[in-house]
Amino acid sequence: MRLLVLLWSLGPLLWQLRTSLLRPEALVAPMAGSNPWTLANYQLVLSGDPPFWRYLTNSGLVGLATTLLTLLLAVPCAYALQHHRGAWRWGASVALVAAAMFPTVLLFLALLEIARSLGLANSLLALSLPYTALSLPLAVLLLRAGFADLPGELEDAARLEGLGLGQRLRHVLLPLLAPTLASTAILVFLASWNEYAIALTWISRNDLLTLPIAIARIGGSSVFTIPYGAFAAATVLGSLPLLLLVLLAQRAIVSGLTQGAIKG
Amino acid sequence: MPLRRLRAGLRRPPGIPGPLAVGLSALLAAMLLALGVAPGLGRLQGAAPQPVPIRALMPAPLADAVAGPVARFNAKNPGVRLEVIRGPLDTEAISDLAISSLLLGEAPFDLLLVDVSWLAKYVAAGWFTPLDGWFGPEVLAAMEPGARLGNSIGDHLWRMPLTGDTGLLYWRTDLMDRPPRDTDELVAISRDLQRRGKVPWGYLWQGRQYEGLSCVMVEVLQAFGARWWDGASGATALDSPEAVAAASWLDGLLRHGVSPASVAGFTENDALQMFAAGEAAFLRNWPYAWREIEKADGPIRGKVGVTTVVAAPGRQAGGTLGTWGLSLIRGSPHPEEAVTAIRWLTGETVQRQLALEQGYAPTWSRLYDDPELQRQAPLLVVQRAALQHPEPRPLTAAYAQLSDLLTRQVNGMLTGQEAPAAAMASAQRQSLQVLRSMVGTPAAAGTGP
Amino acid sequence: MKLSGAKALLMLPALLLLVAVFLYPLLRYGWLSGHASSVLTGLRPVPNGGANWQRLIEDVRFWKDAGQTLRFAFCSVALELAGGLGVALLLHQPLRGRGTLRALTLLPWALPTTVMALGWRWILNDPHGPLNAALRSLGAPSYGFLTTPATTWFFAVLADVWKTMPFVALLLLAGLQSIPADLEETLRLEGASRIQILRRLTLPLLVPYLSLALLFRLAQALGVFDLIQVLTGGGPGGSTESLSLYAYLNAMRFLDFGYAATVMLATFLLLAVLLGVGWLLLRRARIARTTGGPA
Repeated sequence: MRLLVLLWSLGPLLWQLRTSLLRPEALVAPMAGSNPWTLANYQLVLSGDPPFWRYLTNSGLVGLATTLLTLLLAVPCAYALQHHRGAWRWGASVALVAAAMFPTVLLFLALLEIARSLGLANSLLALSLPYTALSLPLAVLLLRAGFADLPGELEDAARLEGLGLGQRLRHVLLPLLAPTLASTAILVFLASWNEYAIALTWISRNDLLTLPIAIARIGGSSVFTIPYGAFAAATVLGSLPLLLLVLLAQRAIVSGLTQGAIKG
Repeated sequence: MPLRRLRAGLRRPPGIPGPLAVGLSALLAAMLLALGVAPGLGRLQGAAPQPVPIRALMPAPLADAVAGPVARFNAKNPGVRLEVIRGPLDTEAISDLAISSLLLGEAPFDLLLVDVSWLAKYVAAGWFTPLDGWFGPEVLAAMEPGARLGNSIGDHLWRMPLTGDTGLLYWRTDLMDRPPRDTDELVAISRDLQRRGKVPWGYLWQGRQYEGLSCVMVEVLQAFGARWWDGASGATALDSPEAVAAASWLDGLLRHGVSPASVAGFTENDALQMFAAGEAAFLRNWPYAWREIEKADGPIRGKVGVTTVVAAPGRQAGGTLGTWGLSLIRGSPHPEEAVTAIRWLTGETVQRQLALEQGYAPTWSRLYDDPELQRQAPLLVVQRAALQHPEPRPLTAAYAQLSDLLTRQVNGMLTGQEAPAAAMASAQRQSLQVLRSMVGTPAAAGTGP
Repeated sequence: MKLSGAKALLMLPALLLLVAVFLYPLLRYGWLSGHASSVLTGLRPVPNGGANWQRLIEDVRFWKDAGQTLRFAFCSVALELAGGLGVALLLHQPLRGRGTLRALTLLPWALPTTVMALGWRWILNDPHGPLNAALRSLGAPSYGFLTTPATTWFFAVLADVWKTMPFVALLLLAGLQSIPADLEETLRLEGASRIQILRRLTLPLLVPYLSLALLFRLAQALGVFDLIQVLTGGGPGGSTESLSLYAYLNAMRFLDFGYAATVMLATFLLLAVLLGVGWLLLRRARIARTTGGPA
């Protein structure tokens, strides 16, 4: 059973790995005799213009900026939301859930106009603005659930000691909220790493492309043969950082979702 | 009591799992490094007090093809630095890229290499500067008739053609003595060769739902005496009996096994690859394919002939006009220098080299007359013949919609979702609807402007 | 408690950003949908009354795409919920190496959609892809997986299920972990079989999680874009085109912004109605269960 599940989720990836290591000729026809294995596909992808790692760093940069900005905006928002009662909070929660579900692609046209009129195009940091907005609803919901789980008397005690709101957040609440923060951060990072529609329309410069766009566009690298080997090499390279991240963070991801979101 | 708990809370470690913290900080460090390096590089490039930069966006194969000429241009013109941005290969992908760059308002280039099918749309969008001030009518007069098409709209010249490519028919010299003269012969020869087991397939072409299928359709419609676009009335005529006959012929190629069913998913590359592997007798493709076959060490090298596309018996054939040309982006800060670059890139020297090395068809008549070039580029005769009667795609700003509609319907027909007559009737109906709604008045459909 | 100034201020930046990114586009589309803004107007908006909406109603392609999008969404979400539940139950069991297993199962969800869409395109390639290579080695002729409407649709659903089932599993796993272990233990001691425990305890308690996953995934699947664009391009013959792809083509390829805005707004309204109805139904079902049904 376990094997079956593993085969299902990893099978296509392993096939990509195999494809990426084969010579282009060996993909089209079985090769008799000579050694079909090669690293040439990786060489091709890494020596491209710009080299492939550039897309990885671009995506990483947007992801980090988005994550930081999201947390920065979501924490105060979640805190304030948690300290309200009644219909207002219920309305806000429903609105947040609705926004969290909104399919991103429907926004791109208006966002393109915004990018144009505010001069935000072709900037990775500017790209993290819409990404932050897209991640905010989920982040606020997760963090609010996190705040709700903290014992209330803790903050009261801190208030009695004369700590201001900023100090309370920094010294008391946030350290306790760290696990929720970590899992929220990972979810936000993943979402921004994978976003397609907005990156497709906000970024037109080759050297600023994020990974999903670059991969979708890599087909342009060769005229004669269909570069499936290079595709595969790119997908493998593009998957490695995520494999690492997911392996390291799976506990945080699962626990983060366990903690909340649902309670809204 | 509360105070003690508070202190305990203060001392509590953040609680991020150890390996995660390490991983995240490593990632962060890498990103910061990249962030630090990238702007530094940018500043370095921008800082030098330099010649006027001219940037041109081109599809990858053409960008590679002009790399040498660009270097020579830069050596000869110290005041200008021409830089070619290498876009994607696929025509639709590079159009998408150009459009999103232009929509974003800060076109990161001065020149755009424009496919003939985009021109009307881009001009209507107001993205180009006319070239009349630099190139008079006598310039185009020195070109082959087909190469003159699709560069002017209204009274203005918007594009200087760099290539004079048209669709061509590739045939196997080892399997037949002469190429077919019409569509009937093409099918007959194919079936005969297939029956005798010489080749698995007869005719390969581009049937995927994309712009390439429109190029095929233009040729097939012409071959059966149909028209896609009636310029006089500004409407399509896709449901005529001739148009349905054309679609039925394509459909029949698949139904009767002359072409493999996989043609319905083929682009130029897929078709070329299968043909180069020796699996078919005929191929419809662009001129560059011949150099690709001859360059590679495949089973059919030296056994391929090239001729103009064929029509139904008694009809006039015409290959689809697929020329590329350079246009000047409106708002370019250095139009004079950009035009200098256009002049050089579309000039005879560069076109000669493109013909020799890549097989692109020149536009200048003088090059076709050059005996030296004729000897070294054997395709020249055929290319010139094809440029006498090429078929342009509908020259309308709504072309992108019309093409998308047609390929959608025709590909639906090829994959068995609709019969030819129904597919063409539906394409016609939807085309008229698009034209009507775009213009905003119901008149444009049939009764003229 | 009243909304105090300081706390309102805390929410302000987030609120502003949310309004700019979610509310402004909807208002803008509403405005644009009353205008012609295309190459024929030089990309300048010109009021055209209800012409865009009139066109939408008559546009067979829009309605065909709407049907295709709904079919795609319902099928893939149904499969994802069923599969996700199975995977979640498996991952919930105390097994050796559970952490690694969870991480590896999660991996497809973490990858960019375009990455694997390209991978699938290669796997399904006719005639060189591995699936066709396998067919040929069995002596069968190669098959046009992406040129046959039925198989193209099937593999688009499959690719979507492959990619998003882990997310559903993750949500349900979170739900499973919230069920107290001693409840299950009690039932087991009473002699209930595993199936009975699942039916009487686990599933009812999972309902909120299942509904959330259902609504969430339904919304995302109805907006499917990158998977379709990269895997099938909407083909063959437009048989897998989704509403968002159609909207994208109208904007970026046809430069018809007025109509693109209309299509997007219509898609949004369709989605809002569907999800609203779904939400109400789920809520009613839950209330009925808690008030009337057996405990």
